[in-house]
Amino acid sequence: MENYKPVIGTPVKQLDTPCLLLDLDRLEYNFKVMADTYRDTPVKLRAHMKNVKSPLLAYMQMRTGGTVGGVCCAKVAEAEVMVEGGINDILIPNQVVTKDKIARLCALAKRTSITVCFDSTQNLRDLSAGAVAAGVTLGVAIEVNTSMNRAGIRGVEEGVALAKLARKLPGISFKGVMSHQSIGGMPDNETRVLEGRRYIQMCLDVKSAVEKAGIPVELVSTGETWTYDTAAKMPGVTEVEGGTYALMSTFMDYMDDFKYAGLLLGTVISTPRPGVAIGDTGMRALGAMCTYPEAWPAMDNVPGVVVAELLEEQAVLKSKGPMPLRVGDKYLVRLGQQDLTVNRYDHYIGVRKGTVEAVWDIPARGCHN
Amino acid sequence: MERPIQKPIGTPVEELDTPTMVVDLTALEKNIETVHGFFRNRKAKLRPYVGTHRCPALAHMQLAAGGTVGGVAVGTVGQAEAFADNGIADLMVTTEIVGPPKIERVCALARRAKVTVVVDSASNVDELAKAAKGHGVILRAAVDVHTRLNGAGVEPGRPAVNLAKRVAKAKGLEFVGFTSYEGPILEKTPAKLAAESRKWIQQVLDTREMAEKAGLDVQTVVVGGTHNYEVAGAMKGVTEVPAGAYALLEERYRPYRKQLKPAASVLCTVTSTPEPGTAIADAGMKSCGNDTGLPGARNVAGATVRSLSAEHTNISMAEAKTSLKVGDKVWLTPWEVGVTANLYDYINAIRKGKLEAIFEVTARGRYR
Repeated sequence: MENYKPVIGTPVKQLDTPCLLLDLDRLEYNFKVMADTYRDTPVKLRAHMKNVKSPLLAYMQMRTGGTVGGVCCAKVAEAEVMVEGGINDILIPNQVVTKDKIARLCALAKRTSITVCFDSTQNLRDLSAGAVAAGVTLGVAIEVNTSMNRAGIRGVEEGVALAKLARKLPGISFKGVMSHQSIGGMPDNETRVLEGRRYIQMCLDVKSAVEKAGIPVELVSTGETWTYDTAAKMPGVTEVEGGTYALMSTFMDYMDDFKYAGLLLGTVISTPRPGVAIGDTGMRALGAMCTYPEAWPAMDNVPGVVVAELLEEQAVLKSKGPMPLRVGDKYLVRLGQQDLTVNRYDHYIGVRKGTVEAVWDIPARGCHN
Repeated sequence: MERPIQKPIGTPVEELDTPTMVVDLTALEKNIETVHGFFRNRKAKLRPYVGTHRCPALAHMQLAAGGTVGGVAVGTVGQAEAFADNGIADLMVTTEIVGPPKIERVCALARRAKVTVVVDSASNVDELAKAAKGHGVILRAAVDVHTRLNGAGVEPGRPAVNLAKRVAKAKGLEFVGFTSYEGPILEKTPAKLAAESRKWIQQVLDTREMAEKAGLDVQTVVVGGTHNYEVAGAMKGVTEVPAGAYALLEERYRPYRKQLKPAASVLCTVTSTPEPGTAIADAGMKSCGNDTGLPGARNVAGATVRSLSAEHTNISMAEAKTSLKVGDKVWLTPWEVGVTANLYDYINAIRKGKLEAIFEVTARGRYR
């Protein structure tokens, strides 16, 4: 496992690298933006733990405000970490399908409120059977496909049929609907808002149809960082699943309401050719997405220098003019898709004004089961 | 930390909790025999690059197979520490080591293991030499030569020889030779692979000759990899080949290295079949990785991986010969095993469809 726990008070300039930093001023700023957004609305934030993988960060957002008081988790193992960390309201906006995993989910439901999402009758029946066998009640919500063409029902009628079945089956309690949205590229603000509304409306359409069939819908969990403001203004939405906002990712650079709080600290290990510096923040340490070039790391504090290429253990940094970096210099990198990087570390190093203030475990790292 | 449902030894593989990394020991042993067998009766030896799988249990299997220098290569000091702590006593770190915290660590490591570092600048040579002298240890140092890749490395020929002289003079360092990573050269035609590989490796061998003429004792030239081990290993003057991917193989090399078999997989479960032509499974970028390429879907003829999102596989079934339903298992072959192994804390080792052992991926996350 990743095993770096520097002494509190160490100057950032003396840290061994690469390591994952949390800029605490920026992190607190991002938490406050969310708290201010949702403080006086019926819609609240349900922070997504796939992004930060730490109950502590969930509590920091809860204390700052604007939340439903619970979190969402992508996987059962992630949910276990949060429940063990004392959080007692979990939504899993994903499908849990095997007998083993359903049993594991039901074990959590003995101690906490669990809602899981489904998109097929078979899965719903399996969840019901598992819950009955365990003597618990699982909350369930329908996953609605809006823009990603991943899981989720493709039509309103399918939603109504699933909701009706959910009301009949034992061991489960029908809660409502859930959707994720994505948008490509770097949209301008108007496109961002219009597309966000259009997608979220698809989820709200399923809610309306289910209600017309006489089934109450208490949960509409939708929206994310790029729609955090749009979703908050749409009547019917009850909660928003923001996650990226906390540490930020370059592929959402257009969401400039938020600051880059998650950063990789690197050291220049070579300046082999003019205009080129080699850093130690390579592909393994950063992560990358071959299919999504927007999610590419960017320098945080070195103007004119770009991350040109990532090798296994080296980053090729390039400058148009003379390279300002020297061997031994430290630099900060913004993360392309922050959750991929967080998932490769076991510790956050919290820093403020150039000094290590805290070292925190990332207990849900690798919890992909 | 990863939290799989650990199953008892002997469990049929299809009952393993998913997503999970699985290594087929039969395929692994065959790959090891193929490559180590090639090196057993040669002058050049293998120095397995174990930064790929990060797993000491696998590294020991490789060293036990013969044909090696008796040690391994790794990408970082942290990986070297992990393998040294698990019983490996000869380690080469293939990335430059810069700055006091890391140099302290590598000097400490040199007290309990034979450590080779790489250098590409005079300032780094001086920094390492000073620290080694202060600690009373000798660091073996190879000059890192820039050939085909855009990473670190001093230019071949005169600049590399000049640096080698500086290393040879430095107290605390022992000059051992030259290294370069020129790969991966992906060529299907053996003649083309040989020609392209020799072109780059020859630059390092010419540098060796120049250094020897200048009176330096060159013990080692470390070049090549899985992509061209048979070419590099047969070149006169090459002493070590730091190949790594050969053991588990990966989708990236599969079309080019027909003598090797994919031994690593990510086993995943279908969680949704939302519309005809599409199946969604539970392995994504966080449990398989697509840093440089998409995985292959092995057990479903005609199925292809359309994309990975953070937690999901999106499988196209448009050309598939069979169908998938929720709960079915899919075997993914990672594009790059080095990416995938770094996401797991455990590897399930299987033989003939049954769980035989659970290995720890001790050097996972050792980036520094």
